Amino acid sequence: MNLFRSEEHLERWLAGRDPGALTSVDTLSELAHAWYADRLDPDWRPHTLEQNQAILHNLGLTGEFWQLG
Amino acid sequence: MDGLDLQIRNFLYRRFVETGQAPRTDDAAAEFGLRGEEAEAAFRHLHDAHALVLERDALEIRMLNPFSCVPSAWRVEAGERQWYSNCAWDSFAVCAALHSDGRIESSCADCGEPLAVDVRDQKPVQRDYLFHVLVPARQWWDDIVFT
Repeated sequence: MNLFRSEEHLERWLAGRDPGALTSVDTLSELAHAWYADRLDPDWRPHTLEQNQAILHNLGLTGEFWQLG
Repeated sequence: MDGLDLQIRNFLYRRFVETGQAPRTDDAAAEFGLRGEEAEAAFRHLHDAHALVLERDALEIRMLNPFSCVPSAWRVEAGERQWYSNCAWDSFAVCAALHSDGRIESSCADCGEPLAVDVRDQKPVQRDYLFHVLVPARQWWDDIVFT
């Protein structure tokens, strides 16, 4: 899960491999906060698969690539 | 993951954030009055439940996601401390978990040029970079270190 300066840099790094999924850092930051903001809560409980799938869905991260299970 | 596993998990995260050092099985055993093998079993349960990541060949913690317990290419300044994380996602997540602004430093995976992103009020200040995920979600935990 990497950052790239541009799509040109990504394509060069892929070197012919199939790309995965590409998003903006705005979406990445939203994803990180939705997924991890409770990680240090004293009463933390593991997210269910459904909860995490909903986080992805709500950010528009849908389709086969983003299916968790 | 049973109730004791969860208590141990929460202790491990709390201790790591307090000290910056990965707790060991001895620390968990002392905290909860466990025998060594009981603490070791709990570490394995938590690894199998993806609540932490152990080193491949030792009962030592490599990741308390989003934190990396070992030095990595992803450095995060947040909460007036320096941290390592595991990837681009986890770097933003360090700020999220600490409820803190921060600064992420790493490099472009292609050219190796340094890059930095400041996080203010949960948003990136430098917004031109692209985030790429190579491995499909269903396979993330097949090899989480590679992912």
